[in-house]
Amino acid sequence: MTQIQDRGREVNPPKWEAQSQTAIQVIRHSSGQGQLATEEDVLEELVALHLLEGPPAGVREALAEILAAAKTASDDLRETQDQNGERRYYSAQFMTEMYAGLLVRREGDPLHLIAEIVRENSSLYPRPFPIGGFERMPFGMGREEIRQCLDRMAGLDAYQDIAQTTTSAGNTFLYSRTFLDPEYAAALAEWIDVGQYDNP
Amino acid sequence: MDARGMDRGAAKQTLRAAISELAVSRRQFLWVSGISIVGMSALGPGLTSVAAKPVLIMERANGLVVSDPTKCVGCRRCELACTEFNDGKAAPSMARVKIARNLNFGPKGISAGQRGQGNWGNGLIIQDLCKQCPHPVPCADACPNDAIVVQPPTNARVVDAQKCVGCKMCLKACPWEMMSFDSDTGKATKCFLCNGTPKCVEACPASALSYVSWRDLTGTVPPRAVRLAVVPPEKAALCDECHKR
Amino acid sequence: MANLGGWAGKVLRVDLSTGRIWTEDTIARYKEYLGGTGIGYRVLWDEVPADTHPFDPGNKIIFAVGPLAGTGAPCNGRTAITTLWPTCWPKPLVATGHMGGQFAAELKYAGYDAVVVEGKADSPVWLSIADERVEILDARPLWGQGIRRATVEISQLLGPEAVVAAIGQAGENLVPMSVVMNSYSHSAGGVGAVMGSKNLKAIGVRGTGRLRVAGPKGEWERLVKLHLSLLGANNQHVVPDSPQPWAEYYDPGSRWKAAPGRKWGAAAPPIDTGTCDPHNLNRMAYRTNNAAFYLGDVAWKYTVRGNGCTGCPIRCHTMIRVPAAAAKYGIPETGQNTCGGLNFGRSFFRKFPDGPRGETAVEACMLGMYLADDLGLWCNYSQLQRDFQKLYYDGIIRQKLGAEEFKLYPWDKYEKGDPAFLFDLLPRIARKEGELGTALGLGTGYLLERWSLSEAEWKRDDDLQYWKLGHPKHHSAEDAGQCGVVINTQYNRDPQCHSHVNFTRNGLPIAVQKRIAAEIWGAPDAVDPVKAYTPMHPTKARMAKWALLRKELHDSLSLCNWMGPWVASPLKERGYRGDDSIESLLYSLVTGDRKSRDEMDLAAERVFLLHRALTIRGMGTREMRVRHDTVPDWVFQDPAGKAPFSKGTNRMDRDDIALAMDLFYEEMGWDKATGAPTPAAYQRVGLTDVARALGEKGLLP
Repeated sequence: MTQIQDRGREVNPPKWEAQSQTAIQVIRHSSGQGQLATEEDVLEELVALHLLEGPPAGVREALAEILAAAKTASDDLRETQDQNGERRYYSAQFMTEMYAGLLVRREGDPLHLIAEIVRENSSLYPRPFPIGGFERMPFGMGREEIRQCLDRMAGLDAYQDIAQTTTSAGNTFLYSRTFLDPEYAAALAEWIDVGQYDNP
Repeated sequence: MDARGMDRGAAKQTLRAAISELAVSRRQFLWVSGISIVGMSALGPGLTSVAAKPVLIMERANGLVVSDPTKCVGCRRCELACTEFNDGKAAPSMARVKIARNLNFGPKGISAGQRGQGNWGNGLIIQDLCKQCPHPVPCADACPNDAIVVQPPTNARVVDAQKCVGCKMCLKACPWEMMSFDSDTGKATKCFLCNGTPKCVEACPASALSYVSWRDLTGTVPPRAVRLAVVPPEKAALCDECHKR
Repeated sequence: MANLGGWAGKVLRVDLSTGRIWTEDTIARYKEYLGGTGIGYRVLWDEVPADTHPFDPGNKIIFAVGPLAGTGAPCNGRTAITTLWPTCWPKPLVATGHMGGQFAAELKYAGYDAVVVEGKADSPVWLSIADERVEILDARPLWGQGIRRATVEISQLLGPEAVVAAIGQAGENLVPMSVVMNSYSHSAGGVGAVMGSKNLKAIGVRGTGRLRVAGPKGEWERLVKLHLSLLGANNQHVVPDSPQPWAEYYDPGSRWKAAPGRKWGAAAPPIDTGTCDPHNLNRMAYRTNNAAFYLGDVAWKYTVRGNGCTGCPIRCHTMIRVPAAAAKYGIPETGQNTCGGLNFGRSFFRKFPDGPRGETAVEACMLGMYLADDLGLWCNYSQLQRDFQKLYYDGIIRQKLGAEEFKLYPWDKYEKGDPAFLFDLLPRIARKEGELGTALGLGTGYLLERWSLSEAEWKRDDDLQYWKLGHPKHHSAEDAGQCGVVINTQYNRDPQCHSHVNFTRNGLPIAVQKRIAAEIWGAPDAVDPVKAYTPMHPTKARMAKWALLRKELHDSLSLCNWMGPWVASPLKERGYRGDDSIESLLYSLVTGDRKSRDEMDLAAERVFLLHRALTIRGMGTREMRVRHDTVPDWVFQDPAGKAPFSKGTNRMDRDDIALAMDLFYEEMGWDKATGAPTPAAYQRVGLTDVARALGEKGLLP
């Protein structure tokens, strides 16, 4: 607040708070919907509520300040960067850093997305990841799209660690050879897909 | 002047005058709490004149717990929350939200067999809830001690345990059989909306209960029992003030 | 003794031979055993001689619950049923079954912590309990009817809120593989025939009373909310099965199935389960859908809602509505159950025309539930179905049946995966009809004996899951390595212990599991990643002891061991920790008898040791290590020949398991050579009288 006042702008304190709070709400709402908020999202709402107007350059600057202030005013607002280096925002009340990272990756190269998810599963839990999992939200990829990605990955150096295993139920799982050896991955996939249900 | 442009003070004065004319022995308790112009005007334009006003009319409730039967999963945590968190005991038989009686076969009971509702029928569990009735309030009207009163700020109809003598007339009066009786205290009890944060709503793991603004469900929810009006004679005489022409 | 909360205060005693009905004071006689299995084991120890047969009038069947049953403590709906076990082979020993539903709560509200039934009625009867009015009533009109009709007719007498635990034709016919069932879908396996042998068709309960919560109501409310906040989905899986905004982790194998777009499709109108943030306690009931877990995505459109025990927010039963199955087979449109009950019909078939998770599988489930839950058949944790597949496809059934009987069955339907086959099979088991119907109803041990089959062969088979004494394993090495193996040595049927697997399958990364394991059991070495087991470690024995004791604690308090303990939670802000003292907190506040976690575990150990003593006395030996605590060969095998402790196998090593047993006995304070508890071990838990009795028989180490 003091910053703005020092610049000699006559911003009404209640309006300033409203701007900050609106930004916080937009970001929290997006996060609650499972989305990252863009600066555009925040701007749109501020304009709709007549909380921000003026020449584009001034508006951009003001927006940046509002977002900075919003982060200070709340303890749950977080910032990340998307594939183009643009700033994206989320609320830790509704979204974890890992999920935000996943959303960022989802917007980028699907090959990279697949690889990162598979490597993460293979190292963290550890377990292979079912191909069908990429059809489900939040990935929402088509079966053909996934197959094409995997075909391309097979020919690229960067993805040589990504491998497949198929269970007795006919479902294919992906794993990273960096973290799981083939027999282990196959056994784990069989356990996830068949074994767990036979041992309820 | 209040928001409606009514002079409440003046109206109350006139009411007192009107009552003093009534030859009723126990006139103090006839000041059922929450007498209001709004309540009276609900009865229609012909009754807005101040002379000889009825005094049984309760202010409308402000809130209500409503239910979605398609979401009820039959866990009965609402019944448990109601009695454990309010009365310190697990006593679903006196819960003020009632699930158990509809759980297996639905409101029609055992005669519905496997063709009704509930776990043995189509799965639907009807949650029975107090409608916080507008005038006439059957449980309040039935009470010979006027122990059922309006409790601000929710204006829920509440049993005043100090006044209740445990006669169970209110249990007989409610068409939806929503009154409960606490055999440990010997008093009737009923849904009092937990002073605005109903514990049943908080406890439901399926979001099947909600706390909303009051609306009149007395005409939409079928009664469980056919009830004749149960009103002590002294009160019945007062009904004549409005209803006898 | 001060007026304690929780307990109803009375144990109901019924002698069906004499018609005598009387009560005992729960606190005075059984407080140190808490309730549930504690009461069950104590009654059997005190009153039933070792060589009693399960069907003798002298056998007793104890339906018991604990001080938490019927309260708002989450997950308290299970009734423990203790008796001498008909399918325990070669000699019946003590064992327990458990049933959920509304029975536990209603029994408490009626004023009883347990019902002990002994003797045998001259003709079929049912026990009517309506608060303090207890009567033995004529059940001849009900005899021969299924569980469904018996329940409805008893409800006509006791009222629609009544809870009825009934047996079907299987129990009436003394088929050992039979259940008692209450609240439509909640069964306790293995005890139906014991009731049948007493001519006891059902117990009907109506309870209008209340249970006192000793602690201040505000404090109780806070504790209940704390416990609720720590709950995950069914089996205490604490991560969702797909990435969710609020979640750091996920596990495709998790029972936490809720997600946007996944709907209770047969609700009218459908309800989206949505994002179930764990902080939103008003959405807990949407997390679990076991029909979808077992049957796959096809089940969502059939899901009406969840169902389950009194007071439990998890709803591990799923109610499904399948009009096509109703039309095809002439059965009701809705069915509901979970786990083995849900899969009863489906598990018989090796394959279906449209795969393991298609429409035919759903039909098989519907038909199985319709038949088995009315006839009152038990699956023995699906051992019945595994045995059946092997017996058929190995040609043994054809061999053992005469040609005439073999022809009675439509085997083409069975091989094709036509669920209608169940119409021919299941009623015959319930009626003990023919050689096949009779043999299958005996339980694995007695079936092997009758057909001169080798138990050793069953113990070598990698797929049968057979363990010993005629029963299968229940979460052994495949879930928790050596800890799981130890657990499975300790009982006289499948252990029904989930303490360990609720943790190992909770979906958290192994590093997080190890961190929590270190806090609870002393070192991260207590848990290994699944199929990457490492050699035995003392903390694994500690975990096994904890798992066993908590199982008995839950079964005595009335908490559901399919949900607890609660050492992990879905809450990131707690580091995914739960609270290992939840049981003691709940007990202390409800009863007013303040006990710490360790003091509760001591009570649990008392109960567990009583089971051990009963088993020793029943077997007439103290050589438990070699004669009882056995491990089948398949545990030490791998179909692909992988070595123990290599990645990708559950294979255990014999020497390592011997060490595991050593460390377990040491942890328990038992004699290592015999595996029998020492006098000191009994004394420590207050069972000196038991030790003395065993000593007189030479059954102490």
